[in-house]
Amino acid sequence: MHLKYESQLREPLVYGDKNYHQVTEDIVRPIEAKPTRLWYIGFYIAVCLLLFGVYAIYRDVTYGIGQWNLNKTVGWGWDITNFVWWVGIGHAGTLISAILLLFRQGWRTGVNRAAEAMTIFAVMCAGQFPIWHMGRVWMAFFVLPYPNSRGPLWVNFNSPLLWDVFAISTYFTVSLLFWYSGLLPDFATVRDRAFTKLRKRLYGVAAFGWTGSTKHWQRHESLSLVLAGLSTPLVLSVHTIVSFDFATSVIPGWHTTIFPPYFVAGAIFSGFAMVQSLMVIIRKVFAMEDYITMGHIEAMNKVIVLTGSIVGVAYLTELFMGWYSQNKYEGYTFWYSRAYLFSPYGWSYWGMMACNVLSPQIFWFRKMRRNIFVTFFMSIIVNIGMWFERFVIIVTSLYRDYLPSSWSVYYSPTIWEIGFYTGTFGLFFTCFFLFAKYFPVIAIAEIKYVLKTTGEGYKGRMDKIEGESLETFVHDHAH
Amino acid sequence: MKEISLAEYKANPTEIREEREAELKPYGGLEKFEGQGTIYPVYDRPGIKWGMSVDLNSCNGCGACVVACNAENNVSVVGKPEVLRGHEMHWLRIDRYYSGDMENPNVVFQPLMCQHCDNAPCENVCPVAATNHSSEGLNQMTYNRCIGTRYCANNCPYKVRRFNWADYTGADSFPDNQEGIVNDVVLNMNDDLTRMVLNPDVTVRSRGVIEKCSFCAQRLQESKLNAKKESRPMVDSDLKVACQQSCPTNAINFGNANDKNSAISKVRVDNPNRQFYVLEQLHVLPNVTYLAKVRNQDEEKKEGAHA
Amino acid sequence: MAKKKFVIGCFDDEAVLFPAVKKVRTAGYKIHDVYTPFAVHGLDHAMGLRETSLHTAGFIYGITGTTTALSCISWIFTKDWPLNIGGKPHFALPAWIPITFELTVLFAAVGMVLTFCYLCQLAPFVKKHHFHARSTDDLFVMVIECTDKTNTDDLQAFLTSGGAVETNVQVAEEGWWLGRYDQNEMPFETKEIVAA
Repeated sequence: MHLKYESQLREPLVYGDKNYHQVTEDIVRPIEAKPTRLWYIGFYIAVCLLLFGVYAIYRDVTYGIGQWNLNKTVGWGWDITNFVWWVGIGHAGTLISAILLLFRQGWRTGVNRAAEAMTIFAVMCAGQFPIWHMGRVWMAFFVLPYPNSRGPLWVNFNSPLLWDVFAISTYFTVSLLFWYSGLLPDFATVRDRAFTKLRKRLYGVAAFGWTGSTKHWQRHESLSLVLAGLSTPLVLSVHTIVSFDFATSVIPGWHTTIFPPYFVAGAIFSGFAMVQSLMVIIRKVFAMEDYITMGHIEAMNKVIVLTGSIVGVAYLTELFMGWYSQNKYEGYTFWYSRAYLFSPYGWSYWGMMACNVLSPQIFWFRKMRRNIFVTFFMSIIVNIGMWFERFVIIVTSLYRDYLPSSWSVYYSPTIWEIGFYTGTFGLFFTCFFLFAKYFPVIAIAEIKYVLKTTGEGYKGRMDKIEGESLETFVHDHAH
Repeated sequence: MKEISLAEYKANPTEIREEREAELKPYGGLEKFEGQGTIYPVYDRPGIKWGMSVDLNSCNGCGACVVACNAENNVSVVGKPEVLRGHEMHWLRIDRYYSGDMENPNVVFQPLMCQHCDNAPCENVCPVAATNHSSEGLNQMTYNRCIGTRYCANNCPYKVRRFNWADYTGADSFPDNQEGIVNDVVLNMNDDLTRMVLNPDVTVRSRGVIEKCSFCAQRLQESKLNAKKESRPMVDSDLKVACQQSCPTNAINFGNANDKNSAISKVRVDNPNRQFYVLEQLHVLPNVTYLAKVRNQDEEKKEGAHA
Repeated sequence: MAKKKFVIGCFDDEAVLFPAVKKVRTAGYKIHDVYTPFAVHGLDHAMGLRETSLHTAGFIYGITGTTTALSCISWIFTKDWPLNIGGKPHFALPAWIPITFELTVLFAAVGMVLTFCYLCQLAPFVKKHHFHARSTDDLFVMVIECTDKTNTDDLQAFLTSGGAVETNVQVAEEGWWLGRYDQNEMPFETKEIVAA
């Protein structure tokens, strides 16, 4: 009894003439089929990368951070660059599931599950960097404020790094809860149609005994809505707090009030790019073109061009303020260390400008927004650009700050820093391959919920009724 | 760093002071800078307040202070390969500023150590409160609380904080694993015999923690206790920090800046026109004052004419 | 826990389900529950369920988080172990806002999810009786609780006339137990108790 009626002008969110059972079939099929050879190859590569990362971390912990090329001036390099990069990517999922839920954007249903999974895995990867970049990681538990026998000695609640500890762990926990509460009904669907004993047992455990009772659905809806309401400020707060790591410091190039909005926009930008990369692959590999449609891809490309332009405005504002403030240190950082092409790191600044600000502008053209290859290519470019952005912020600010006597030698990473980074790619894709194989990659229950208003088949029928009544209307009033 | 020619100084002795006044004017000027440069109330600092003063006129850049500091505070000698990577561990360094002719420049030497800022930016950012302020104005570092995030080193505008990139002192939880990782010079410290050069009053820092100038906290403690044993207030003669002790030109003064009669107070009161703080405008309120170098350029010119 | 007797009617379209729910309720039958593959809006109202107050619980958890954060931090920094950190006052409220906010969200979210799981009896290894395997796929399964006066045949016919595509009678445990979905346990006593 759907009273909701959607305009015929809107593109259907689900293509093909589907019924509820067909939706279940389509989405659960990859879980019940044997993994393909391609899956095994991809999984194998991911695990290899992960193992190399584990070895790189082993070196770093056993022999010291001296394994990396950081120095007394550049205390953070690839480690924190990668941390911020992964956290940024981890913003899209919750944005899609929470903010778009509040804005009642129906198109989120096709992509929210995979985007949330991506968020969780990206935050897991991000979390590795602040942990393993510590000089004494075996003392990492010192950051937890718990009553202890050392005084008791507490933590420093004024430190942005401690804010990070709370922000990242809260964000991870809440995203995980949001994601898993949405998965419960879908796990139940997989459980109830499982034909092997093992699958029935495991999905039986995973579904927590979900039955689909109306009362449970009512509470589930309330839970989703409130979690969305909580996640919306949360997702904005997380990258704001990450930006405080820099904004509250005294280093020229870091000490900038524009950072919070600019970081949040950048996070959404890179997150959507990562979602695009993964979605383009998933819809092809799992034949889900009916659910992750061109409309979805176009909508996300619109977000990319918007946030990319916001980031561009922020870059220009920074440059302007570097001059307008007449602060010689800030001016030097922005106009020499960054924007001067032939300064030691000028290449990274202009790489960032090209990837983040200039190239996404092609998405003003509808043809480009709806082109799979352009979308995929641009999604990679944007993520490279956003990596450059974090590298620019961290390294070009640190390597030459106040006193020239401490200006750094040129910083380039060692194989172990690179290994750590590729290791997180391994972690990310290992998790993602397992997710894609064993979890419903599209929210089954949510697709069924929007099917009758936005499915192509239903829309078609509605069209007919609409046409008929119009003719009747004209006929009645002709006389 | 500030430098002035003798002629200029004679013409306008308050030039440096006026320069500082002009820079701090939007934030309350020299007098009210501490209170008006922040949203927070001024922190009350009674009792002892350690302070240092370095006279750039006297400093000739000999480097004795650096060596003395290394010896007193068990600062690791890391060898050439590590120094080339920017891993040197000196708590005290001598910055050189050049001016004039490229072929035959004028040099000013500026010894730079931890400035023990009252509003230390490093303290705010440490997640575990491993670095905080003592009631005597010291920016103190708790090695066994430090987890090595290096945020404090990044946020130090003077870049005086040093991170133990490897196990330089054989004090690590992973024993003897630095073979082939660091230079042989460093490994000497892993040997029982050579370790006997270490100062037993100073903690040997293990891998993965930050360290920095402590104003020779062990000497400060000793002098206070000696005075206490004799039931009298501590005076200047009780105490000399390592760099001060070794300075051949007495460029470095150290003492209790809250004591009106201490040498450090007198230096500060007597030299209002040469005194300056490094990066004063950041409102980190350093406790190390520098006295600007006054260069007699007329005499130099005359000498040049003779030669 | 005890077993009860139920009459089950399966519908394949929510548009048919709504009038059927109304008819069954008007006829005076007690609807035990309706199991649906997705959240059908308005069904809770049609069945006469009261609104959930889960969001109120969430608000209370959130406030608890705010209070916990602010009181803990201010006690630690002003009473328990006051430190001079960077010349800031001991009560440096602006610097505590981020952590206070994060803990508010964390408490609210974790508390709500735990309450949700408790209310709906959801947990790993929990097993319940499922009236129809396709209730999580494409069937809307109405379950009517029988009294000793209920004529099950009549009721089934009534449901079929209301549009049910499938009807049957089941004697089932209505609570939960710890069990595995690949096995059929007999969780509690098999004695059949018919509700009065």
